[in-house]
Amino acid sequence: MLSVRDLGVAFGMVQPLSGVSFSVGKGETLGIVGESGSGKSLTAMSVMGLLPLSGGRITGGTVEFDGQDLTKLPERAYRKLRGGRIGLITQNPMTSLDPLKKIGPQVDDVAKLHLGLDAAAARARTEEILGTLRIPEPALICDRYPHQMSGGMKQRIVIAMALTADPDVLIADEPTTALDVTVQAQIIRLLDDLVKDRDLALVLITHDMSVVAQTCDKVVVMYAGRAVEHGPVEAIFDHPRHPYTQALIGCIPRGLVEAKRLTGIEGTVPTVVNYPDGCPFHPRCPRAQAVCATEPPAFSVAGDSAAACHFAEVAHAEPA
Amino acid sequence: MPNLLEVRDLSKRFTSAGGPFRKARSMHAVNGVSFDLPERRVIGIVGESGCGKSTLARLILRLIEPSGGAVTFDGDDLLAKSPAQMRKLRARMQMVFQDPYSAIDPRYTLIRAVAEPFEVQGVTPEKPMAEEVAELLEMVGLNPGLATSYPHQISGGQKQRVGIARALALRPSLLVLDEPTASLDVSVQAQIIGLLEDLRAELGLTYLFISHDLSLVKYFCDEILVMYLGRAVEALPDTAAPARHPYTRTLMESTFEPDPKKRRLIAPLEGEVPSPFDLPPGCAFADRCPNASGLCRTETPALSTETGHAVACHHPI
Repeated sequence: MLSVRDLGVAFGMVQPLSGVSFSVGKGETLGIVGESGSGKSLTAMSVMGLLPLSGGRITGGTVEFDGQDLTKLPERAYRKLRGGRIGLITQNPMTSLDPLKKIGPQVDDVAKLHLGLDAAAARARTEEILGTLRIPEPALICDRYPHQMSGGMKQRIVIAMALTADPDVLIADEPTTALDVTVQAQIIRLLDDLVKDRDLALVLITHDMSVVAQTCDKVVVMYAGRAVEHGPVEAIFDHPRHPYTQALIGCIPRGLVEAKRLTGIEGTVPTVVNYPDGCPFHPRCPRAQAVCATEPPAFSVAGDSAAACHFAEVAHAEPA
Repeated sequence: MPNLLEVRDLSKRFTSAGGPFRKARSMHAVNGVSFDLPERRVIGIVGESGCGKSTLARLILRLIEPSGGAVTFDGDDLLAKSPAQMRKLRARMQMVFQDPYSAIDPRYTLIRAVAEPFEVQGVTPEKPMAEEVAELLEMVGLNPGLATSYPHQISGGQKQRVGIARALALRPSLLVLDEPTASLDVSVQAQIIGLLEDLRAELGLTYLFISHDLSLVKYFCDEILVMYLGRAVEALPDTAAPARHPYTRTLMESTFEPDPKKRRLIAPLEGEVPSPFDLPPGCAFADRCPNASGLCRTETPALSTETGHAVACHHPI
């Protein structure tokens, strides 16, 4: 459905994103995972064509959706697509709703704009969608303001807005980060069901490897504005080949299962103005050699997965 | 090991005054919480937002005045102390805050930030201050050369290390850690947790660790207290103990494993944590609980404080 090839983004002289590729099909969930500042949200913004809002531009690569290259799409055509065939769920449900408007009219707008429905039909559509999201008493909810609802309920409304126009692709940018764990479990279950029932293609952006393990079919691991490894979820967790992926998995507390010490990664994520030359991870990498500081590594492919590391093969022979 | 900290029936009720357009309301942020913390142990307080875990921490240090109950620290009854005595005692019980960005004064160099506890307490360190601070910075894994930097020049993880150095300055025996890694990336979280483990072994510290992250609590702590809407609902004597309270079980089932082979069918608990204002009688969890009976809606279950696995539930699992 959606296929991104070698995407690069620049803001003036700074290049916060380069060489990002992934694809996601119907009924499939792709996870984009990385720490803060790795370029996950920027990737989502690029696909949605929202970069000009913040002064960014795409400098290379393609974003192919249903046979057309979105990077060449004029703004007018993009507007039809955005919120129509491609839906976006943003991180913070507290700020993605208009606090001065009741829920009903907010969701109705999507149906009016993208489906061309009149007021009555739009409201019927809204109530239908709220119903499929297992929101009790849709008619009552439509008459409420956002501040009268809990965080989990607001996130459901945001999901409802993204679904109203029956999209093919849904991009969810940290949809559960602001929520408590029991509510997170509800929302993850809901997204899982939507992918299965509606044959949606879901791009799930998150910093949480456990959420990825629970829901995704494929994973892209990002670091400092680059994709460093991608592959099927089992391969990424069982045989991570990039030292960063290995280290990231070693950082997750696993409770009592393995009481081994958390490894951590020395140093911190570089900021966009001082991305290192060569491999972006080399200053923190235990395996780094002289070549890593000068040559950006190409993807080394093994089976379905690929890792951008000069020594990825070594990494595979000695899984951490 | 003797108990360093004993908390008995600690409560805090907040009230909001009524006005022409609203009636007065009250909430029990912390409601009758009791536990013991032996020396050199780590207890984890876990719960979702609004369960009262941070309020509990502040009540223990008397940063907020409790409405009722008792706190005994190393044999001293804290609630009987005068403010001046309390201030002296706090040298031995320090807190590390959640947000390292707002816990340090942005106008202070790191040397001044780390030296501040000595000034506040009127303590003269044995060595010259610069040497003392350098040693503290080294202890938390920071280059002493950073001492003349300002907070905006260092990263979030480094700031949290400074927060820990400040807390350790007066050699306390108890550290209250209020979500010390919640605002950090996982790779940095792992560094900080590793540092806290080392410091505990080196200095023989006792920790009260507050977190919403059950996997982290299970990894880091010796025992766990689970809170829901101001009450302690279960006290797990060790991290391998199975949940006996339905809420604890839900919390465990909502926590995902970082392993795609351990995917679970999520049967989510419906509903959300209700408003803590003017709670109905009975068990606060009854409305969301699959096992709830009529009894649960009328009588609040008590948490037994005898040793062993305590649970506040009429129908434990």
